[in-house]
Amino acid sequence: MISFLKMLLAAFIFPGFLFLSVYSLVLDFIDRKLYARMQNRVGPPWYQPVADFFKLIGKKTLIPVEANKMMFRIMPLVSLAAVAAAFLYVPVLGQDAVFSFDGDLIIVLYFLTVPPIAAFLAGWYSRGVYATIGATRILTQLFVYEVPLFISLLAPTLIAGTWSISELTAFYAAHPLYALINLPAAFAALISFQCKLERAPFDTPEAETEIVSGALVEYGGRLLAFFKMAHSCELVLVISLFSAVFLPFMTGYVFADFLLYIVKTLVILLLLTLMRVSMARLKINNVVSFCWKVLAPVALFQVVLNLVIRGSLQI
Amino acid sequence: MTNVNLIKKAIEWGTEKSPWIIHFNAGACNGCDIETIDSLTPRYDLERVGILKQGSPRHADILVCTGAVTLQTRDRLIQIYEQMSDPKFVIAIGTCACTGGIFEDCYCVTGGIDSVIPVDVYVPGCAVRPEAIISAVDKLLEKLKNAEKDENQQKNAEKIEEKTETAKNGEETAEQKEEPKNDA
Ligand code: SF4
Repeated sequence: MISFLKMLLAAFIFPGFLFLSVYSLVLDFIDRKLYARMQNRVGPPWYQPVADFFKLIGKKTLIPVEANKMMFRIMPLVSLAAVAAAFLYVPVLGQDAVFSFDGDLIIVLYFLTVPPIAAFLAGWYSRGVYATIGATRILTQLFVYEVPLFISLLAPTLIAGTWSISELTAFYAAHPLYALINLPAAFAALISFQCKLERAPFDTPEAETEIVSGALVEYGGRLLAFFKMAHSCELVLVISLFSAVFLPFMTGYVFADFLLYIVKTLVILLLLTLMRVSMARLKINNVVSFCWKVLAPVALFQVVLNLVIRGSLQI
Repeated sequence: MTNVNLIKKAIEWGTEKSPWIIHFNAGACNGCDIETIDSLTPRYDLERVGILKQGSPRHADILVCTGAVTLQTRDRLIQIYEQMSDPKFVIAIGTCACTGGIFEDCYCVTGGIDSVIPVDVYVPGCAVRPEAIISAVDKLLEKLKNAEKDENQQKNAEKIEEKTETAKNGEETAEQKEEPKNDA
């Protein structure tokens, strides 16, 4: 009974849903502030993401006549639910996630494909012209970045010999030097994550200067609020996953590890924001050729390298 | 009950703090549009007060409209206004948008923005300065705040009246009552 309560507490309060949503607001604010400071602006006040959320919650929800009402309503929640479920498998407090089993890395990667697909379906079923173009671009991009992302996240498992994120983190925390081998994969994963989050230079699906705002163009009010929330939660999830797989340095004390987690996430966020500020949007064909011609070979190189190292070290 | 009130308050607060705008050119000479875009540049940094420019009318709260309404844009303007979800506001930027300006009585012009859709704030000027646009948004938000306050005051006044009425109950009820203000 008590263990069940503990599990519920972990799933919904900390480090589960509540922590995820609060931290997503924090990271959202820091991201926008950094973006503003790098453009020599003052930037939004700290409560801006909260105010945006409440504002959107209070607005009336309009559903286009031609849209499929059920799909239109359900998709934001599907997106949010997938992200919240995946977050439970990523270690936040120390090395151990709330739930873990051998192969949860694959599960998390599959959960991560749900938000883009939800956005695609949302755009497709709202039947607007811009929404349809945005939706097809999301799908095109999904097929392109998913390959380097999967390969580069699975490469570190070759050395560790496990497919569980928690065990992976534990292995690399015990042998920190091995983590340095994975740097090429970290590079590829960081860029594919940027692509997954649809941030510049990969914000082609929501390019607001050409196709208004992509797949979510017909969304407003509460449903848009949930989509935005899912998106910023996805940011937290992606950053935590990256820090668990590629920056698994631990101190061994729970509290210090948690502080370290926050520092790591902030550093990764800084890198992602730097990428967003310093580059302009790519065309969709450039995204495709970049991912296939640069990222995928880098990730594959990592796989070969890890196999060789594994063979020569006899781990 | 208190929870509902709390959420309502949070929503009111959010509405004040995060006005998202969409810009529409109803037939301006482009002078006012350049100034509108100018006020969104890092020099003025409107994100400080939560203003973001949105592409889709469904995401926006404030329609920033420039120029006199021509016959061609009239239907589009109405469409865009109707695509925005409540609560929504309109700011008319420039003399043309306020009254028709130099295009007044032109054969292809219906007049200012308010000849087609309701307008909350007028900003005269040819062309308007970015500072004036920012101050217009600020005025709009203040108007919002005051409207809420007035509503609350009205409710409170009604409550007090009810109480006093029940307290007096039968005694001289024919006292002069102040009528609640109705500026909003
Ligand atoms: S007010 Fe002046 S600048 Fe603005 S649209 Fe009219 S003529 Fe152009």
